[in-house]
Amino acid sequence: MGAQQREYKKRITSAQGMKKIFKAKEMVAASRIAKAHARVLATTPYAEAITRAIGAVATHSADVEHPFLDQERSETGRAGILLITADRGMTGSYSHNAIRAAEELANHLIDEGKTPVLYVVGRKGETYYTFRNRPPVTAWTPFQESEIPALGHEIAQRLTGDLLSEDPEVHLDEAYLVGTRFLSRFRQVARATRLVPLEVVDAEAGAEAPSYPLYEFAPDAETVMDELIPRYLESRIVNLLMQSMASEHAATQRAMKTATDNAEQQIRKFTRLANSARQAEITQEISEIVGGADALSGSGRTER
Amino acid sequence: MSTLEVTFVSADRTVWSGSAAQVVVPAADGSMGILPRMQPTLAILERGAVRIIGEDGEVTERAVDGGFVSMDRDVVTIAVDHADRATAAR
Repeated sequence: MGAQQREYKKRITSAQGMKKIFKAKEMVAASRIAKAHARVLATTPYAEAITRAIGAVATHSADVEHPFLDQERSETGRAGILLITADRGMTGSYSHNAIRAAEELANHLIDEGKTPVLYVVGRKGETYYTFRNRPPVTAWTPFQESEIPALGHEIAQRLTGDLLSEDPEVHLDEAYLVGTRFLSRFRQVARATRLVPLEVVDAEAGAEAPSYPLYEFAPDAETVMDELIPRYLESRIVNLLMQSMASEHAATQRAMKTATDNAEQQIRKFTRLANSARQAEITQEISEIVGGADALSGSGRTER
Repeated sequence: MSTLEVTFVSADRTVWSGSAAQVVVPAADGSMGILPRMQPTLAILERGAVRIIGEDGEVTERAVDGGFVSMDRDVVTIAVDHADRATAAR
């Protein structure tokens, strides 16, 4: 076998190996999307209940005060950004889109004269900022998919603590969430939203203003609000973490599908090349034989 | 006789939903019983046991640790952080 043919064969084998890996990763991601999405849906009733309850308290006791409801929070000008990215690579543009959304938000905040402070989940976001010499204040990495509720709780505690902190080095005026919303298997959008100061709006705002009955609060409206708001923040963070996880799987699946297709194309291309190389070798051999035979017959010898 | 429409959710799933005759929850200022036609209430829950007594008298009990309950026109929503099958609590 010729050297060229051997080279092509080697490339085909390696492309085949890669294709197997990509295919496996694609299938793993596909099976995980459904599970991750189911987990997102499972947290929805709880989130809805909390949003309704907060809306009820806010509409009926206009005098309820909570530091997170105060629209004019400007002590230090520091604005926290919680960025959710992936821990692993091979997720296509998933992490980059989230980072880009965070950067846009950060630039916007700088224009407004605020100082963005980063809190990052996932190794991709951490390395991005560490490499650019703007290390995040806190990075939760690596994280496990199964530990998302616990992680969400920890993040919520940390952010709440920093938002209420008296220390000007730590205090945050505002908090933003940047993560990827899972709209469907085929559509995920990286988006930034404001978490604090709170805007209490119902999910289907505008449809009809929900009329809340006059609630009796036990023990009283203040205490109820104090209990509800941390839960609300936590449920928002956990929900976004889960949506991001589902989006990560969807992005992985898409990226791996493309990679599998590319590997197939490579295999096809090198098979063609290997075939023509083999054919060329055969043709050359034949012409050498024919040429040799012609030369012999031309010399007048009849025997070999 | 009206019944209560109960939705009992924890942070990661729906624990119980359906209609019930009575619900007892561990409110912050003492155990609170909820019967149909109670006034709209929003109460914070403490550690304790949530007991749901179904229309057929079947009792569902779960140990909870913090959360809240809202009662509005016979629709009861119980949202808690964690709900475990009640063992020691009674």
